[in-house]
Amino acid sequence: MITNPKYAWLRQIAAFSILLLLWQAAGNAGWLNPLYMPTPLQIGAALAQLFGDGSIWTHMEATFTAALGGLALGILAGVILGIAAALIPVVAELVQPVMLLLNAIPRVILAPLFVIWLGIGIGSKIALAFILVAVVIFFNVFTGIRQVDRRLVERVITLGGTRWDLLRHVYLPSVAAWVLSNLKVAVGFAFTGAVVGEFVAASRGLGYLLSFAQSTYNAALMMALVLLIVAVVLVIFLVAGRLEKRLLRWN
Amino acid sequence: MLEGASLEVGKGQFVSLVGPSGSGKSSLLRVIMRLQQPLAGKVEAEFPQSEIGILFQDDALLPWRTARDNVALGLGFRGMERVQALRTADEWLARFGLEGFGDRYPRHLSGGQRKRVAIAQAMALKPKLLLMDEPFASLDAIVRARISQEVVEMVEREKIGVLLVTHDLEEAIALSDAVYLLSQGPRARITQRYNVPIPRPRDLVRARTHQAFAPLLEKLWADLSREVDMSPGAERAEKARAA
Repeated sequence: MITNPKYAWLRQIAAFSILLLLWQAAGNAGWLNPLYMPTPLQIGAALAQLFGDGSIWTHMEATFTAALGGLALGILAGVILGIAAALIPVVAELVQPVMLLLNAIPRVILAPLFVIWLGIGIGSKIALAFILVAVVIFFNVFTGIRQVDRRLVERVITLGGTRWDLLRHVYLPSVAAWVLSNLKVAVGFAFTGAVVGEFVAASRGLGYLLSFAQSTYNAALMMALVLLIVAVVLVIFLVAGRLEKRLLRWN
Repeated sequence: MLEGASLEVGKGQFVSLVGPSGSGKSSLLRVIMRLQQPLAGKVEAEFPQSEIGILFQDDALLPWRTARDNVALGLGFRGMERVQALRTADEWLARFGLEGFGDRYPRHLSGGQRKRVAIAQAMALKPKLLLMDEPFASLDAIVRARISQEVVEMVEREKIGVLLVTHDLEEAIALSDAVYLLSQGPRARITQRYNVPIPRPRDLVRARTHQAFAPLLEKLWADLSREVDMSPGAERAEKARAA
């Protein structure tokens, strides 16, 4: 059991538990300043309090709405622009330089600008998640379509397919495969956009709570929030992974 | 590059086109299928392009469609109702020994099975002429022999015309009723038509031991070697050696 690869997860859990225990013990012994380094129990208490009074749900809802809204809009825009740019040279000429520029800069620097333009409401968060996701998806789709297997295109043509048939049977399925296999990256970006947007200026959301914890020097709350965001993204990764597996079962 | 070609493929006839690489065999098929524009001139055929099918070296099945959907694809393009297209697809799969494999994705089929699906896909459209561009090249020897035999039987049964492009002379003779020989490119042309006097229905193993097989193979080899030697490239090499 000590070396059996089948029980790797067990060893990982054991090691992690020991680490937590040592951490807790160090805190109890007074070796850690709770202002900077709260103990696991204190973090757990902060987490319990968030859920206990139910106040967390309105913040979760705000972050989820912003992230998923930005994700959906970003995928939509990325797919449409990517297909258009790959199939129509003029569109590529105009869109590609802008996308390259947006890809080169850290796009979160746009967050303050979106707050000025769209206010501290959910609009500026959706916009940030959107711009983060759209650029990634655009490049996936753009390169994806240009790498579509020529032989498949010729096969459909020789079987009598029209341009519409090509789009439906060759290009769109290829695009779907590319987007789905990058869905996890896109989900990560969407939550980054939402949380960072809230962090900059907001009245609700997990990012707003983080900023609040920072301004009140509440390290326990901060770590509880980080833990919560990690858990949320892991759940969404799991869903995205299942979706990918289901839709790409031919692969 | 090929300069002018006139070929005759009769109903139920299997005709092969052999020639050195670079003579434009594949390009000819691509031009017939309108996948490529001729540099000059045009294609004249006795029936519309929709009645011509093609089989490539790669099976090129849509990976995201099941075997059945792949076979039904061309039928759908021609406006056949989906239910009926799928039923027809199943019939064609069964004819190539793929009963029960309709729900599999190409990735979960063997090379030989994928090739059979590709043949069913082309045949489901009931072409009058089937073009084949080195269709068996990617298969291993045993599968290749079996599928070749199946294709020969199919052609004899369905009475379609086949134009096969290959550089395998033995394969060309064993399968065909007539073989056209292309000269060396550039400016390649069709030099000659050789009739293959081996009777049908044909067993491909026995065809190779038929008395007409060896003499014809020898003649084709001799003529093909002469073509390669006479090419401008060979002349240049000859001169270089002399100098």
